[in-house]
Amino acid sequence: MHRGRSSAHWKQRAEMTAQEARLCGLLLREHFGEVVERVGTHLLRSGAQNLRTVANESGTPLDLVKKSLCVLMKHGACSFRVGRKGPGSPVEYRASCERILRILRYPRYIYTAKTLYGDTGELVVEELLQRGHMTMSSIVKTVADRLTHNMEEGRRVEYSEVVSTFSKLVETHFLQRCPPVSEAAPAASTAPMIPGSGPSGSGPAASAPPTAESFPDCYTVPHVSLVGWGKRRRSGEDAAEEQGVGKKAKTDEQTHGDEGVYWQVNFERFHLHFRDQTIITAVASKLDQTSSEIVRTMLRMSEVTTPPSASCTQALSANEIFRSLPANYSISRPILDQYLTLLVDDPMEFVGKSGDSGGGMYVVNLHRALTNLARATLESVVQERFGSRSARIFRLLLRKHHLEQKQVEDFAMIPAKEAKDMLYTLLSENLVLLQEIPKTPDHAPSRTFYLYTVNQLATARMLLQHCYKTVANLIDRRLFETKESKRLLEKSQRIEAIMASLQASGAEPEQLTEVEEMITAPEKQQLESLRHHINKLDSAENQVDETIFLLKAYVNSTAKVTQ
Amino acid sequence: MADVKVKKESDPVDVAAIETRIKELCQQFPHGITDQVIQNDMPHLEAQQRAMVINKLLSLGQLDLLKNSSGLLYRMKDAQSASKMKGSDNQEKLVYQIIEDAGNKGIWTRDIRFKCNLPLTEVNKILKNLESKKLIKAVKSVAASKKKVYMLYNVQPDRSVTGGAWYSDQDFESEFVEVLNQQCFKFLQSKAEVARDSKQSPMIQRNSSLATSHEVWKYICELGISKVDLSMEDIETILSTLIYDGKVEMTIIAAKEGTVGSVDGQMKLYRGVNPVIQPTGLVKTPCGLCPVFDECHEGGEISPSRCIYMTEWLNF
Repeated sequence: MHRGRSSAHWKQRAEMTAQEARLCGLLLREHFGEVVERVGTHLLRSGAQNLRTVANESGTPLDLVKKSLCVLMKHGACSFRVGRKGPGSPVEYRASCERILRILRYPRYIYTAKTLYGDTGELVVEELLQRGHMTMSSIVKTVADRLTHNMEEGRRVEYSEVVSTFSKLVETHFLQRCPPVSEAAPAASTAPMIPGSGPSGSGPAASAPPTAESFPDCYTVPHVSLVGWGKRRRSGEDAAEEQGVGKKAKTDEQTHGDEGVYWQVNFERFHLHFRDQTIITAVASKLDQTSSEIVRTMLRMSEVTTPPSASCTQALSANEIFRSLPANYSISRPILDQYLTLLVDDPMEFVGKSGDSGGGMYVVNLHRALTNLARATLESVVQERFGSRSARIFRLLLRKHHLEQKQVEDFAMIPAKEAKDMLYTLLSENLVLLQEIPKTPDHAPSRTFYLYTVNQLATARMLLQHCYKTVANLIDRRLFETKESKRLLEKSQRIEAIMASLQASGAEPEQLTEVEEMITAPEKQQLESLRHHINKLDSAENQVDETIFLLKAYVNSTAKVTQ
Repeated sequence: MADVKVKKESDPVDVAAIETRIKELCQQFPHGITDQVIQNDMPHLEAQQRAMVINKLLSLGQLDLLKNSSGLLYRMKDAQSASKMKGSDNQEKLVYQIIEDAGNKGIWTRDIRFKCNLPLTEVNKILKNLESKKLIKAVKSVAASKKKVYMLYNVQPDRSVTGGAWYSDQDFESEFVEVLNQQCFKFLQSKAEVARDSKQSPMIQRNSSLATSHEVWKYICELGISKVDLSMEDIETILSTLIYDGKVEMTIIAAKEGTVGSVDGQMKLYRGVNPVIQPTGLVKTPCGLCPVFDECHEGGEISPSRCIYMTEWLNF
């Protein structure tokens, strides 16, 4: 049985939890509106359904359902396949919770693209995330226009610059072609328009939609004739049109030879990059900068040779590592050996030694690093929430696995009464478990061992759900704060629009100040504090997403290792 | 008739001589002598007479009566302890014996009762008596604070009873442990910093940041913050708590016997370490620390819109 990285939609998934469903709903509403939210959450909760059922059960008119499904599919959040009852039965649609949750991480993807490929890379990824699927030519034109608009007068961006950044993104696998969809066998009457269908294969519908990577052209940049440069939008245009540019598809009459070839963001590649970054940061923080550079070099060298689900990278010899170190890190060979030995000896086990040839063969222990980082995350949560002495007990139990109450008191050197209190608090929060081992068959309490223990995987899963709930809470609060000040926000927007038009038509300074003063000082303060609140909530969402990423990576990695 | 007369006329001098002889024999055989030995030595002594003399010596408290697998043993009693027991009666002596046997772990009243089969009131009276004579003392056990164990007056209580260096009068000295904890950590941390600043090769840096448990013990002793004597093992338990705090790492290396600080051919080395991650994102939000997290939902009494923790946090 082929156990490749099949699409997440049709794998036998664990049930989606209530917290995940709530968060998906909030994300869908913010990004696509209420109708898509209604259809999307209905599909999430009910599993695979055909078009009519979705329309009836969610109480949405058929044409709106069709449009919503289009939107979801364009973003890869919904897939379809032949109905269960065999060919001839209506097509069934299924929504992907995991894909929708990724919306939370968009800022991180965009920021990463910016650090790697500059502003051009940032805009390419941003456009693709906004639209879901795009052809290369439309991406290039849109991005060139946006870049040109932000530059000073007289400067502009050539298409070729954008094309070269785009190609780099594809070369490093951050972008990939959308998989061409095979024809759905049943009649087209119930199947909505499918964007992104390339040269369709004429075989029978596959049992699972093929992944993007199963196509050989996945990372091939098409030859297109794109000559030109970005066009600056003339100032003085309506503000509404400015906002609508991103959403409305520009009808472009020119064709460039890459019609039907659609591109999407390769999330898995970004995730591998995030994982590597997390490990490198941890090494820098635990050891030092040079050690982290060595680990960065090792990860870079094994980027293409290591399969994504591996628990450690390919073995690299010390000679190879020495040759591949960045030029500005000139350390001598014996010193490199020392650093490698120290990395291997470190209890965090970031690096392992797998052989002695070539000056020593070294691997980066990906799974173990993730496990240790997840453990540090759990310890951090216990410490911040319950104090350092409870954290001591927690770490003690993680190390020694099973302990009786008396042993906990002795090892942790905490007085009996306080230790008991802390253990019971941790127990009530399900961070610590109690295991009974009876000495006699009658399980009498006086003759039973009661051992405290911590189950790292289960605790990580539980904290993951807490994270989802926290993010949903933060979003709820943000929407609430915005709603409370809705009137004030609208007023401030109106005034800004008036100011802009006055400035454009060359008004007197007194007129401008008069308009400005229409907002009173306390209102300004309220607006300022609202802005501050929204920013704080936004950045908190991103911070919690970092925790979500780490815990999810750990849970997935453990699942793969134990498969 | 004459024989009987002779017996009856055995004069007191004889008895004294027999006593002395038996005492000499006891001293010859410090582990104790049996009836057999006495009989071999003084074959003319009749069993009855022997028993009489022995009983007298026992009641005078000069002989100890012991039982072993082959029979009864008589042993010389310490002159000192013999004088102590003057004026005490047999029961007291018995109880005293039991307590003495318990050594430095002490013995509970109930156990004393089992061993000597005396009623509770008697035992209590005797114990009070002995205590007033300053022959025994009561020590509260740290394991069960209501339990009192008795031991001889001049015996040091065992660690398991008093709890060792960390307990003073049955109270766990948390502050003392905390202070030691911080001092040990500071010592290791400064050692690590010095090593880092020396800018030597990484291996030398790492090795010079290591400290043996012996070094830490010496440092703490020299600091003089402890009123009681701390052993190296005590310091090692403190260092273990630092490991559980995630601040310190330990390695064990083989060491030659006789190297300072080595125990059973091994030495424990400790090193201050940096945390591997910063506090995680979840705990930077009020929800991550919220005590009523589970009761919060939109539209309820506790909800994100009305959360006071969030309001405080936002206005910070």
